[in-house]
This record gives sequence, C-alpha cells and structure tokens, in this order.
Amino acid sequence: MSRIIVMTSGKGGVGKTTCTANLGMALAKAGQRVAVVDADFGLRNLDLLLGLENRIVYTALDVLAGECRLDQALVKDKRQPNLALLPAAQNRSKESIKPEQMKRLIKALTKVYNFILIDSPAGIEMGFRNSIAAAREAIIVTTPEISAVRDADRVIGLLEANDIKAVRLVINRLRPAMVAAEQMMSVKDVQGILSIPLLGVIPDDEQVIVSTNKGEPLVLEENLSQAGIAFINVSQRLQGEKVPLMDLSIKKESFLIRLKRLFGG
Amino acid sequence: MISDSPKQNSQAPEGVDFNNFILEIEPEPNADADEGSHQVKPESNPNLQVQFKSEKGRLLLLLPPAPEKSRNPVYWEDLRQQLKGRLRGGERFLQPHTPVHLIGRDRLLDSQQVQEIDALLCEAQLPLKRIYTSRRQTAVAAATAGYSVEQQTTLGHLGQGQEASRQAMEEPLYLQTTLRSGVEVRHRGTVIVLGDANPGSSIVAEGDVLIWGNLRGVVHAGAEGNRQCRIMALHMQPTQLRIADQVARSPEEPPAQYHPEVAYIGPDGIRIATASEFALADLTTEETP
Repeated sequence: MSRIIVMTSGKGGVGKTTCTANLGMALAKAGQRVAVVDADFGLRNLDLLLGLENRIVYTALDVLAGECRLDQALVKDKRQPNLALLPAAQNRSKESIKPEQMKRLIKALTKVYNFILIDSPAGIEMGFRNSIAAAREAIIVTTPEISAVRDADRVIGLLEANDIKAVRLVINRLRPAMVAAEQMMSVKDVQGILSIPLLGVIPDDEQVIVSTNKGEPLVLEENLSQAGIAFINVSQRLQGEKVPLMDLSIKKESFLIRLKRLFGG
Repeated sequence: MISDSPKQNSQAPEGVDFNNFILEIEPEPNADADEGSHQVKPESNPNLQVQFKSEKGRLLLLLPPAPEKSRNPVYWEDLRQQLKGRLRGGERFLQPHTPVHLIGRDRLLDSQQVQEIDALLCEAQLPLKRIYTSRRQTAVAAATAGYSVEQQTTLGHLGQGQEASRQAMEEPLYLQTTLRSGVEVRHRGTVIVLGDANPGSSIVAEGDVLIWGNLRGVVHAGAEGNRQCRIMALHMQPTQLRIADQVARSPEEPPAQYHPEVAYIGPDGIRIATASEFALADLTTEETP
C-alpha cells in the first residue's frame, strides 16, 4: 500500500512547501519512490524549491484534459531519480480541478510510487479540499505562533471530519533561544493545544532561505544544517523508525560549531 | 499514537520498471453517460482568447468559444482578466469612440456579464454597439439589459466558425504590458510584447514571439507546428523555450552578459544566436527551396 500524505497548515507561509520538498527528497534518498504533488494551482512553488521549474512541460491539468499521459507530466528530479514532481498549472485557479479528478491522479501514482506527498495550498477552500481528497494521512505544519496554531487546529478538525485519522505534527521554525526566554511558544505549548502526535521539530535556520533560492532542498547538502538533520529525522520517523527528538536547547558549543563551520567550510 | 504500523511502507509496488514506465489515469467515471461534453474531442482551436479585430472602421471583440468545448477553457473570470489585459496592453492603438461589435459565439453570458464587458469597454471609451451570439439565452439576457442584439443560427459570419479548420494566422497581437506570473497569452499569430515576460508567465503563439524587454517566462512559438517560427528578446533568460515540437531550457549557468538574441530551430533542436549574428546568417545561408 502506498502512503498518501497531505502536507497542510491552514495558515500560509509556515513552510508547507519547504517541508514537502525536503521530506520528499529525504524519503527518496532513503530509497523510497516518492512523488510530490503540487496542489497549489495558480500559485505553484514546489517546482521552484526543487529547482525543477524549467523542466516542466505538462501539468496535472494537461493529464486530466487528455493532452498527455501521467508519466509524461511527471518531472524526474535530476539529482535524485527516486523523486518525481507532478506540477500544478500556474495559469489557472484552484477551481479548475475537482476532488474527484485529484483522486484519479493520485490513484494512478500509487501504482508506481510508495510515498505520495501532496503539497496543499494555504486556506481551507477548494484547493485544500482537492488536496485532501485522496489523502490517507496528513502532516500538519505549523510555526510556534498563536495564529498558525489556531489555523492548524481548525484544519485538524476538518481533516477528522473528512476521515483522515492519521494526522501528525511538524513544528517549523522554532527558535530555542526565544523559547528559553519565554518569548515563543514551546513545543509543549503547541502540542498542548493541538494534541496530535509530534513527528518532528525544525529549528529556524537561515540556510532554508538560501536553499529555497537555489532550488536545492536542505537535505541534499553535504554538511547538513540543523534544519536539514531535523528533516531527515522526520523522514525516518515517517518510515517507522524511532529517532529521538533533536536536542534544541541552547548549548554553549553550538556557537563554536557554527564558527567552525564558518571557517572550516 | 501513530496509527499506521511502521512496516507497511517500504514495499515498492511490484512489477514496475521504475526507469521506464507508462502511467495513465483512469477515464472519467461518468464519461459515457455524460454524453458530448467530455468524450467528444473538442474541435475548437485551443489558442483562442479574447481578441480585438478591426474591420471596416469598427472594432470586433471576439470572445473565446464556450468553455465546455475547448481544450483550453476560458471561464468567465479568465475572460474578464483577458479583456482587461488586452485593453490595457493595446491602449495606445484602440481609438476612442470606435464602435465595438461583440461576437459572443456560443458562449453563455448573463445580463450582468454583458454589462460588465460594456463597463470595461466604456473605461477605454469604446461604445458597445451590438452583440452577436448564437445562444438564445445570451441574446435574451443582452436584449433585456437594453443592448442591440443579433442572434445568429449559423456560424461563419464575422470571424466565427473559423476554428474548425486550420486557417491563415491572425494579424500580430501587440501588447504593451508586463506579463506577470500566472498570465497566459495565447494567439493565433505572432505576439509582440513591449515589456517584460516574467517567470511564471507564458506566451503561446502560432507565429513568432518578439519580446522587447526581458524574457523570463515560458514562450512557445509556432505552437501549431510551424518550425520556421522564431523567438526574439532583448534579454533572453527564459524558463523554457518551445518552438513547434521542440523544447529547450536555459543553461544552468547564466551567461555573464545578455544581448538581444534570437531562438530558432537548427539541425539539432532549438538554437540561440545573438541578433546581429542571426541577421548575418539569415542573409548568407538562406537556402531557396
């Protein structure tokens, strides 16, 4: 059975697409056959984060219109052939595709891929409903902010109402120093509100911006950044391994390590 | 609790050659019952968008055909955006007070939509004189809204019905605008843009494409298969170029400097030459058939 997982958050800008790109890449690196599906019609981004924008010839809509086969629309990653992207159309609105059509696309993908990650758009409208139509599991991405957590809570409710029971949490962009100073919600605070199993915590990391702009997911780097390690850990937990949560508490040497990295390459 | 067992996932689907497979989606479940709308291969040209055409001192506003029958459906919201874009992009050439005849083809328009089109034309000081449609509902809606209407039962009049067969190209579409992400311009002829084509935008032309500005989006010239077509830009930095059935993408390493360039189909696919080289080559190696 292939695993069909929707990445969603309710709120925009919390890192759904970044998580999808990195998780997809990490799973593919671990030998899984992964298809990442951009469900953000009209505002697609996943192709940019994966650095695959200029390889897109057909989109999901072309497949549905019968213009091409599904395998022709899939963009295989140049660095990691286990990973393929099903691009969304950029020139259409979210209403241009129906949940039933999304189901047909995903169903066909399950014949070849054993992990299908669906990158949901922000919001809870048509685009969201499309992206959850075929999903069996969900990963909620949130940041430790009350607005993001509030929206995540709403989305968890909607997922439950749509019979998606396996819902897990990724807390993105945590800043341990701020948590220590009690200026930011802690992992515990967030979990206290959402009360769903925690899949991982991604620390705030400037490298994320660099990798986004380069179109190279963090997990591909040779010297993994903290966020990169955290993404790998999440992917391992997703595959059923037991990986302890990374220790994100402030350590003195962390500064030194950073310095070393700075000078040592 | 993590509800799924850890062991279930790592089994790759059996019997699939991962390096070489064919994947097709199942046909739409009710395709047969739902006769006509999806199963019948749409015959209208996919490159039809809102279009202005001048004819004997008046302006024809041609709407794309009804979305149900098109491979590239243009829904009302898209139509409105296209009309706005064409009005803004062609501002300098649309003589104020030119009477406009709206060719609605087989589209369904309600009276509010007709009024909205009128309002947009009004902003450009173009009076809507008359509406032609082959749909009774549209005719009634437009007439009740107080417009002069002509309902046509047969096509083939005033630029209609031409989409069925391949026909001569339209006159070039000239746009003075910035094409932003998400905008798609389709035209049955050559497209000239005075401005930039940003990443995420796309131009699909049956003829050439000329960008007097930065080309950063996707451009498809000769979209109906004409391999002689060319793409020219002052600053050629496209996401992807397509000419006829060929596709090319930019090199991984961007060049240090940009010159006006021309893309064309050479013996081994799409090639790019600087404009000056291309002009020379064109003069010296042009073979007469």
